[in-house]
Amino acid sequence: MTAAITANLPVFIIIAPLFVAFVLPTLAQRMRLVENLVISVEALMLFGACYLASIVLFQKGIPIIYQMGGWSAPWGIELKVGSLGAFFLLVIAIVSLPIALFARGNLTFEVGGKERRARFYVLYLLLVGALAGMALTNDLFNVYVLVEVATLSCCGLVSARNHPRAAKATFTYLILATLGSCLVMGGIGFIYIVTGHLNMGFASQELGRIWQNNPRVVWMAFSFMLVGFGVKSALFPLHVWLPDAHSVAPSPASAILSGLAVKGYLICLLKVLYNVFGHTLMQTYSVHKVLVLVGMVAIIAGSISALTQDDLKRRLAFSTVAQVGYIFLGFGLLNTKGLAGTLFYLASHAVIKSTLFLSAGAMLAVTGKKNIKDLSGIGRKMPVTTAAFTVSSLGLIGIPLFSGFVGKWHLLLGSFESDNILSVAVIIAGSVLCAAYLFPIIRIAYFESAPEKDWKDPNVPQKLALILLSIVIVVLGVVPGSLLELAGRAAAELLVLQ
Amino acid sequence: MLSLILALFSGAVGGLIVAMIPETNNRLRNYIVLFFASSSAFFTWRTAMKVFAGESVRIAGELGGLAFSLDPDPLGAVFGLIASTLWLFTAVYSFGYMVGKHKQRTFFTFFLISLTMTLGVAFSGNLVALYLFYELLTFATYPLVIHERSPEAMKAGSKYILYSLSGAGAILIAIVLTYAWSGKLDFSGGPMLVNSLRPGLNWLLGLFIGGFGVKAAIMPLHRWLPTAMVAPTPVSALLHAVAVVYSGVYGILRTVYSVFGHELIGQLGIRNILPWIAAITILAGIATATRQDVLKRRLAYQTISHLSYILLGAFTLKAWGLAGAIFHMISYSTLKITLFFCAGIISEMTGEIKVSKMGGIGWFLPKTMVAFSIATMGMIGMLPLNTFWGKYYLMKGSVESGKWPLALVLVISGIINAICFVPAIVNGFRGERTKTSGEKGGRVSLMLAPTLILVIIALFIGLMPGIVWPGVEAVVNWFY
Repeated sequence: MTAAITANLPVFIIIAPLFVAFVLPTLAQRMRLVENLVISVEALMLFGACYLASIVLFQKGIPIIYQMGGWSAPWGIELKVGSLGAFFLLVIAIVSLPIALFARGNLTFEVGGKERRARFYVLYLLLVGALAGMALTNDLFNVYVLVEVATLSCCGLVSARNHPRAAKATFTYLILATLGSCLVMGGIGFIYIVTGHLNMGFASQELGRIWQNNPRVVWMAFSFMLVGFGVKSALFPLHVWLPDAHSVAPSPASAILSGLAVKGYLICLLKVLYNVFGHTLMQTYSVHKVLVLVGMVAIIAGSISALTQDDLKRRLAFSTVAQVGYIFLGFGLLNTKGLAGTLFYLASHAVIKSTLFLSAGAMLAVTGKKNIKDLSGIGRKMPVTTAAFTVSSLGLIGIPLFSGFVGKWHLLLGSFESDNILSVAVIIAGSVLCAAYLFPIIRIAYFESAPEKDWKDPNVPQKLALILLSIVIVVLGVVPGSLLELAGRAAAELLVLQ
Repeated sequence: MLSLILALFSGAVGGLIVAMIPETNNRLRNYIVLFFASSSAFFTWRTAMKVFAGESVRIAGELGGLAFSLDPDPLGAVFGLIASTLWLFTAVYSFGYMVGKHKQRTFFTFFLISLTMTLGVAFSGNLVALYLFYELLTFATYPLVIHERSPEAMKAGSKYILYSLSGAGAILIAIVLTYAWSGKLDFSGGPMLVNSLRPGLNWLLGLFIGGFGVKAAIMPLHRWLPTAMVAPTPVSALLHAVAVVYSGVYGILRTVYSVFGHELIGQLGIRNILPWIAAITILAGIATATRQDVLKRRLAYQTISHLSYILLGAFTLKAWGLAGAIFHMISYSTLKITLFFCAGIISEMTGEIKVSKMGGIGWFLPKTMVAFSIATMGMIGMLPLNTFWGKYYLMKGSVESGKWPLALVLVISGIINAICFVPAIVNGFRGERTKTSGEKGGRVSLMLAPTLILVIIALFIGLMPGIVWPGVEAVVNWFY
């Protein structure tokens, strides 16, 4: 029995949330059960992810290949638990569990009655399942399917709050995201035209052999993929949907959208770029230069836009645009250190941005104030929430002791290794700008006098979620250990594969 | 090893305890602050004595996958000694100064936490530890800068953070680059970049100095310092004349002697520019000071000038220059704190902050003004004071390095120091001699006692420079 479970774990870990998601609507009247079910699924996922990661670490680079339905590779769909898959799976599990915990305490305020809450959880689990699938899949068409599942559940999550602005933001998001999906679909089509394969491994082999026959088509595939996933992951200037969508969504949804959903598309892009096209082809087409360039632009532009926002959640949303820039920049560095740093940065940002959105959401729920200026003195009234916000801000700025620093350090090393002095300057400038837009919030929260109002920390599940996430930020910053090692191995595997 | 940990964390632990004491319980809080400041000073002395005796007090570990170590060498020990000893004096002064001020709990909490961060900078054994504590020091001292909570203070605080973080960014780039080129981060085991002469080194050194230069207030990176004078006077005295600015100076000394090594810099083109950058700051700083009317701002510009004395000594790349730098670091700190303490007493007792309005103040506050006069003599570099010796060695180092005009710069700076402060003192003793003295009562004595003791210490060192010489010698022997 246990052997059967462990052998099928890669698929269980995807199926479990999807399956539970479809059961939830029938249980809408028993919310306590629904919530417990969601938390247990998340806990099981975390357990499974840890198990898979330990196997991958132990096996030293031999991935676990799972063939869906027993069909072997060129015909069937493959799941591949390599270092990258295990890494991202771990990140998903670590982040989504506290968010679910937070949602348990916070959703009544954010979305309302039982029915709506149950629907929220359905979408939440669908998204988590789709993200887990993105982490493991080794098949291009499967990527497309999962991207669609994720996109639609994201749209649902954005509109979970009954509000006209939510409807408008969702509509914009839906249109642009569908455009992105179409482009991704087109890109996959072009690859299929050239290679005749949808399995990433086979497509990559074929592409390496015969790409010279259709150089233009490969070029089209590159650009479709970049723009498609660029829209999805809010790459500047394709980010226009993000600030609205992420700021009107209920806070737990904002957290998972900014923290994980965006990262899922980035991981897909990474897989397509390195596992399908491969880094030599990227160099041939100078894609890596484009990535570094758009990354730098996004860092600066996103940070400056964040500076101009007065609405707390909008400022955080624009900060995501800037941080996505870091990840694009890192994808283009083409060396192990830089790529490992990027992956670690991605993980660290997933945790940090979720914490930021959750604590901002807790503040919003208690005070009803959106504007940063109205939060004066909140540090005294809501010590736990503000402490979590502060820890995550310091992490995002990149102070040592917090996870962001480790990622930035390796990104900087990688930039130096590829002799990219300008990107070094931009990375640091991004940090300073990040301090410029986050530090005032901390200052207002702690050092300005508080109004005489009865604000206090949220209930236990929310506090617990915030504390857990803050601990993760510090632990990753002090002892990044196996997660950094996984990231390093994933980077090495991505660069070796040809 | 234990004493290193106790010295380092006394401040932070004390700060957290202070944070839990109610705002109104001043007496208990003061005792606790005194206890933890003394314990930190005591254990720093013990650690430093071990270091000077040649024992290793290394603590090493990992932080975020990077090597991390605390390993004070003589230079770190000297900086730690200066900081922790003066912290004790400033604590006593603050007890008097803060009477009746708002938010004392916050003040003393961060006052103690900053001690830990400063000692962390001093005791750091590699670049990662140095960077960590250097960054944290910025955040720990921010609440002290904005203590008044006035719009002006808030603005000064933001400026301070922005300058410091930008500087830290430059330092981070430089550290990563050092690591990429040499694979080393540790201060022990000789300069990291030795035997790796390559084209980018001038830029790397420039980055380091530009980064640390923000806190060391090298012109034109000094602008945050005069505005930060809105902080309460003990903070200006300790942090903006000694601890924070010294952490920048210390970073530059580390860069020159532990990252590059004086031999390597001796082969770089930038070596001819560096002493002149310091010289320009020395002259421009003190010249600007003469135009300031607010006493604390005048003192701030004088600080800027004198910090570059230390840098000048380091940039001569000669053993005598380094000796002068260390000697000046020790002796200048005692006197500068005295000057700020006096400024604080004057403003608290008379409400006067402008130099031009301080006529006849010497009759009202005689002991304060005597202390102020003696400290000013020290700033000029006159003999019975300890700063004379530092200046003497600095000149010796400058001449030895073949740049005799630098010695002239020091002389001219001494003269401008005199122009800057002597008229103010003379003015202070002008007018009718009054019988009423403002220096009565417990509060003034709390402020006056540390001031006078510091002056006596300065005179004592001036007459017997031999007592600090072993420390200076240990640093010089460590690097040469």
